[in-house]
Amino acid sequence: MSDTATLIKMEGVKKVFLTDEVETHALEEIHLEIKKGQYISIAGPSGCGKSTLLSILGLLDSPSDGTYMLNGQPVGKLTISERTRIRNREIGFIFQAFNLIGDLTVYENVELPLTYRGTSSAERKQKVQNALERVGMAHRLRHYPSQLSGGQQQRVAVARALVGDPLILMADEPTGNLDSKNGEAVMELLRDLHRNGATVCMVTHDQRYANFAERTIHLFDGRIVEETKEAGVSV
Amino acid sequence: MGTIGQDIRYGVRMLVKHRLTTLVCVAALALGIGVNAAMFSVAEAFLLHPVPFENSDRIVALVDSRPSQGIDTNSVSPVTYLEWKAQAHSFDKMGAYVWDTINLTGDREAEKAQAFAISPNFFDLLGVHPLMGRTFLPEEDQVGKDQVIVLSYGLWERRYASDPLILGKKIKVDGKTLEIVGVMRKGFDYPKPAEAWVPLSFNAKQRTIRDSRYLWVLAHLKPQVSVQQATAEMRTIAVQQAEAYPDAYKGWTLRVLTIPNFATDSLTRQFTFLLLGAVGFVLLIACADVANVQFARVTGRHKELAVRTAMGASRSRIIRQLLTESVLLSLAGAVLGLLLAMWWVYLIVSHMPPEVAKFIAGWNTIRLDANAFLFTLAIAISSGIVSGIAPSWLHSETNISETLKESGRGASTGPSRHRLRSVLVIAEIALALILLVGAGLLVKGFRALIVVHENFRPATVLTLNLDLPEMQYKEKPGRTAFYAQVLQRLAALPHVQSAGLATYVPYAGGGGTGVSPFTIEGRAPEERGETPSTIVETISPDYFRLMNIGLRGGRELSDSDGDATPPVAVISQNVAKRYFSGGNPLGKKLKIGKADADSPWLTIVGIVDDVHYTWVDKQEYPTIYRSYRQAPPFYTSLVLRTNGDPLTSVSAVRSAVGEVDPDLPLFDVLPFDRVITNSIVGIAYVAAMMTILGLIALVLASVGIYGVMSYSVGERTHEIGVRMAMGATSNDVQRLILRNGLFLTIVGMAIGLPMALGIAYALSSILFGVRVADPFAFVALPLLLAAVATVACYLPARRAVRMDPLTALRYE
Repeated sequence: MSDTATLIKMEGVKKVFLTDEVETHALEEIHLEIKKGQYISIAGPSGCGKSTLLSILGLLDSPSDGTYMLNGQPVGKLTISERTRIRNREIGFIFQAFNLIGDLTVYENVELPLTYRGTSSAERKQKVQNALERVGMAHRLRHYPSQLSGGQQQRVAVARALVGDPLILMADEPTGNLDSKNGEAVMELLRDLHRNGATVCMVTHDQRYANFAERTIHLFDGRIVEETKEAGVSV
Repeated sequence: MGTIGQDIRYGVRMLVKHRLTTLVCVAALALGIGVNAAMFSVAEAFLLHPVPFENSDRIVALVDSRPSQGIDTNSVSPVTYLEWKAQAHSFDKMGAYVWDTINLTGDREAEKAQAFAISPNFFDLLGVHPLMGRTFLPEEDQVGKDQVIVLSYGLWERRYASDPLILGKKIKVDGKTLEIVGVMRKGFDYPKPAEAWVPLSFNAKQRTIRDSRYLWVLAHLKPQVSVQQATAEMRTIAVQQAEAYPDAYKGWTLRVLTIPNFATDSLTRQFTFLLLGAVGFVLLIACADVANVQFARVTGRHKELAVRTAMGASRSRIIRQLLTESVLLSLAGAVLGLLLAMWWVYLIVSHMPPEVAKFIAGWNTIRLDANAFLFTLAIAISSGIVSGIAPSWLHSETNISETLKESGRGASTGPSRHRLRSVLVIAEIALALILLVGAGLLVKGFRALIVVHENFRPATVLTLNLDLPEMQYKEKPGRTAFYAQVLQRLAALPHVQSAGLATYVPYAGGGGTGVSPFTIEGRAPEERGETPSTIVETISPDYFRLMNIGLRGGRELSDSDGDATPPVAVISQNVAKRYFSGGNPLGKKLKIGKADADSPWLTIVGIVDDVHYTWVDKQEYPTIYRSYRQAPPFYTSLVLRTNGDPLTSVSAVRSAVGEVDPDLPLFDVLPFDRVITNSIVGIAYVAAMMTILGLIALVLASVGIYGVMSYSVGERTHEIGVRMAMGATSNDVQRLILRNGLFLTIVGMAIGLPMALGIAYALSSILFGVRVADPFAFVALPLLLAAVATVACYLPARRAVRMDPLTALRYE
């Protein structure tokens, strides 16, 4: 597959939540294509459906309707265990709240995706070391999350997302819990990863950080209302 | 394996982190697992290996039973045994034994020993070999060639100082000289509590006896023959015998029992199963407690679990992680539980009086052995899975995308989780109530057994047994003279108020009395096989007054009722009511045995109070009393009313009896209250254990309801804040929490009470003094449970009303 091959393709994706007999249409007619190596951001106001879209893109949730192809495979209707397997091998997550497990060390947190993949201990050790070196946290292996600053925690979370060599990194408001300095640092880190070939899909409501991406998808009331490319060019 | 190691490491870390809940869970599981391990050891000894030999699965006991009289296991007559032996093809060996107490005299101080007369092939049948010497030769079952004896290891060690040259030595047994031909290995005491074995021989008359049942028959199955096949064959033979001799077999049914079923009586089995059920309940309550704690703990970790899921952990992997933690918890409980079990087993074994323990099949083998360890491991793992599966399963369904949001609370408080936790508490309350009621009924039954004997004032009565050797005391006058002299001497001793004798002291010898048929003069013969039966007591005249057995009509027996006067009898009220209703039995005549029996007609001269002989009997058994001067027994118990501690008179009593016959050993010398407590020690054990289990259940159930209500208050903090902001008073909030908890309690009790009633019916059918409609069990104990549950609900409710509404409103 060439660098410009389509990694993600969504057509007519909808998401409807049913709660207490009330239908909430979170996403409507989403058509989206992401090529390998692209860095895209999903922007929009609070409640517009961007996190829902990221959840579906990350196979944390499934669409109510429409088709979703990941790396050429339809993944919209997979079973839970199939989704789990793909998520583990092909997607790396970075969350706003870092979501590191407080009772695991830095090493164990980063090791987690490899553990569920059945990677051998020696290989895990090497990969964890590499991932932590990439984010500059190799010197904090035995620390617990509570012993790290917010920025350091998010770096560890990035290392965890990277460690399994995923096809795409999904970042949900990765700077939302950081001060501007640490936020900038994390964004620089993501840009470096992209420059080295990583495909990145990021949700953000901050326009400054959205501009780090090659493309920005603007959502409003569950629909894509605009797409801009670098330097604010609308498509 | 590596990932399991990770799960274990992380599990240990989590348990250490949440020390308090870990401690509560470990303590609950330790109690549950500990009582199960201890009870397993007891049940294993009673039910699985109650006999001291290996191949018991190929050995069966052939017994008679008489369902119409509730007799499920009875010995058989010699001729029945001999015919079985000749006709049965299912067995390669068949043997028999008879209880036989022997007096060892001559070389050392006279001593009574428990012996068994056994067929020569008995040891071979059991597959056991002597430590020294030999067992019996085939020809030694013939009268005249049977002057040999095999000693138990214990008797050899105790009486003969482990003399290595004992074989071939002659000893005096019941006045006869027997040669010691063998010593059995240590620990072999079958039939329990054998101290010696002598050959079983039949004279010509005995070989024709068909309706006197005193032989216990064992048989070894041929290879490839099953117990069912042997049973079918033996039933065919038994039917043929019954058709040929209907008088002897009417109402009797042959049963083929495996050795464990034979060695451990049905009541012991029933109570063992009762206690196994009770400890199972306790473990279930403990598991429900731990499951509730796990629910709370796992709910607090919903974000962690969502992260794991996002990272690619499958549902099964999450469940495995959580189950690993819960199994670790239960294994920790098992370690502590094993220590508790060791202590409980020690308490159980050490509190059993040795004079009782020696009769209990399997008692010597009660210990925490490898099987108990494996059982504990199995129940620990099962408990871990049982207590962890529901929390793990439900929490593995967490909505991860919602949970992973910055303020996401996940789906931790779904209604299914609430329902399941409520169901667990309801089950705990129901099980605890059943155990409490069961314990209450057993304690009441036990107390009733104690109370029923208070009239005897047993603390100042000394009892001792003696067995006159048949050869020396063959003639009636000799026996009468012996007893008269002994009673005279005993009555003259200082501190002795009066002395008497009776063939059966109530509750002595485990309450076994033996019953005889009797016939009332002038009554039409009963239908064949339906002759009324009675305990026949031979007593001295002082016995009634000595034991405070009240005279209800006529007169007592007197010393003038002798061999030269008409034979007389005193009957119990039970006989009067049951067989002379509507008439005065005084002056009527009856005889022991059937109408054609060669025994004298006895004139009824008095009626006395009923006496309860054994805890097994729900009602007093009919009893006929005769004078020892008219029917002097060989075996009897002496009873002495003393001024104080009866044991202070023991040496004087031994001297007094020794003056009359120095070779006569006295045995089972015990205060009467000890005889009674020994007799009911089994039920005392069951009552004590049930009480402990009931209390444990009460504590665990209250911990369970406290945990759930406490968690519920935590979960409803925000709601409580809103209610308080809207004007709810402290009382309103308290009522809200209490109502919820008490609703669960009431539902649990409503489910538990009918089940407890079933237990009450079952217990009342097997135990004296247990009433189904017992107010203590069915009113007081449920109220106690409700009160404890109310306190367990009140504490979280009090916490709820102390909340600051503003803080509560901010609570997420």
